[in-house]
Amino acid sequence: MSEAAAPPFELPAELRIDAAVARRVIGGFVRGQLRQAGFERALVGLSGGIDSALVAYLVAEAIGAERLLAVLLPYRTSSPASRADAEDVVRRLGCASRVVDISPVVDGYFGAAGTAGAPAVPGAGGTEALAAAPLRRGNFMARARMIVLYDASVTWGGLVVGTANKTETLIGYTTLFGDSACAFNPIGDLYKTQVRQLAMEMGVPDAIVRKAPSADLWPGQTDEAEAGFTYHELDRLLYWMIDRRRSDVELVAMGFDASTIARVDRMVAASEFKRQVPPIAKLGPRTAGVDYLYPRRRPGSART
Amino acid sequence: MQPIRVALAQTAPHLGDLEANLVRHAELIREARRGGAGLVVFPELGLTGYLLQDLAAEVAIRADDPRLVALAAEAGDGSAVVSFVEESGDHRLFIAAALLEGGRVRHVHRKVHLPTYGLFDERRFFAAGDALRAVPSSLGLGVGIGICEDFWHLGTAQVLALDGAQLLVNVSSSPGRDLAATHAEGLGTAASWRALLRTYAQLTTSVVVFCNRVGVDESISFWGGSEVIGPGGETLVRAPLYEEALVYADVAPADVRRERIALPLLRDERPELLVRELERIVGERAGLAADATGDGEAAR
Repeated sequence: MSEAAAPPFELPAELRIDAAVARRVIGGFVRGQLRQAGFERALVGLSGGIDSALVAYLVAEAIGAERLLAVLLPYRTSSPASRADAEDVVRRLGCASRVVDISPVVDGYFGAAGTAGAPAVPGAGGTEALAAAPLRRGNFMARARMIVLYDASVTWGGLVVGTANKTETLIGYTTLFGDSACAFNPIGDLYKTQVRQLAMEMGVPDAIVRKAPSADLWPGQTDEAEAGFTYHELDRLLYWMIDRRRSDVELVAMGFDASTIARVDRMVAASEFKRQVPPIAKLGPRTAGVDYLYPRRRPGSART
Repeated sequence: MQPIRVALAQTAPHLGDLEANLVRHAELIREARRGGAGLVVFPELGLTGYLLQDLAAEVAIRADDPRLVALAAEAGDGSAVVSFVEESGDHRLFIAAALLEGGRVRHVHRKVHLPTYGLFDERRFFAAGDALRAVPSSLGLGVGIGICEDFWHLGTAQVLALDGAQLLVNVSSSPGRDLAATHAEGLGTAASWRALLRTYAQLTTSVVVFCNRVGVDESISFWGGSEVIGPGGETLVRAPLYEEALVYADVAPADVRRERIALPLLRDERPELLVRELERIVGERAGLAADATGDGEAAR
């Protein structure tokens, strides 16, 4: 099978969007968010994956590449290919970039595992953290990247733009206060397959569009292998379940697998907390988020 | 009668900044007047922005506020429709639209249908209006005003037309959503609005003026696409999607007359029949009368 001739992905017909309209809406959204907050610049953590690449392209189109800072945040085990893909995006857009290796931050907490010749050296997390599982380390890395991005937001004088897509947000495949942390998110209402459609139409490099999506938390990891279903299948299911409000019975009648439906139902319900602001115990007459309700941006809220 | 030049001011209001929006309205009224407009129409809550939440009380003004009178003065011997948060004497807050002419507030429409579902939460913050009235305008035409959701209820346009409106004005803050590629113009919201506005123009044989805002409040992007539609359903002008614009259409009262004589749908309306049947339905729904069709509960 010829690799070059293979289609990069299959977009479910019902998920195809008008890319020109999407670009206009997102462009206006990005400019509006920045203007209303009193900022002219933005920054994006660039992983080499398709989501952050698309966000970089969209922000560059909205405000100009000269106002965008791409921050590359590799860990020592991150895939070199991802790094190369991220650098390719920076080169093509001509935006400013910065590389911050988060290895000392992460290793400083989890410590260094022992080898044949050397004993283990605990980090700030103590001896217990030496044995931390990959998922725990992955979440820590996502939060370490968040810390660096928010610090860079001060030195760059820009807002952090979010890169979580709708699919991963709905199933909870995000790290709370990690990759989900941002000032605003231009692609959070686009399913993964729609991210691919838009990325292709915007000219995001082919290598990025075609490669298997991965959180790159450990070598060889891919989203689809980990989840056990394809984005094509998952996006269609989420679209009919959530956007089109079909019941489980109706979804089965449409041909979706009952056990997949049940599993996705659980994932969506179990991650509800990641999509909402934490509740405040109601005590006083007026409580933020409950009965004190103001738009985030209003007269006086912009940085001056 | 001479054609009337209608200007649609498709603006992007500043959320919560009444003074800035007043300045912009005055500028656009002057510009439209220079462009020959007899009527200048602004979007829903053009003077305040849409997603106000608790800010609504802070930007609310009375219908006799001197700042509205000042805008009316800018319109000179022309007319303007502007929209704001109106506070009544008993401190209810309404989403309102005023017809300004002759240097004064000629008429105020209070939004009757407040959407409180999906992405909308209007009834939490606003009171609903209780009247649909068409008013004779100095333009020489009857004018009926509806605000956004008011036109998603069939009766609105019908009542306004029966009450004497030849010009149906809808001012909106319609959030754009559903970008499925199969929609005309790539936007589900636009496709729905286009269809219903044409339906009202044709069924009431009236000119329909639709002014929708643009810009961004929080998550929501407003899609614009304002337009003027003739009494036969024809598009007289259409503003771009998602961009600020000031566009003009020449509306000929003679076209309304011609259409209503050729196609006397309005003449043949049966308001007395509607009143009778609606009174019956209201009574049955309230349990004050037995359901005349016998299986009403099951049907509902």
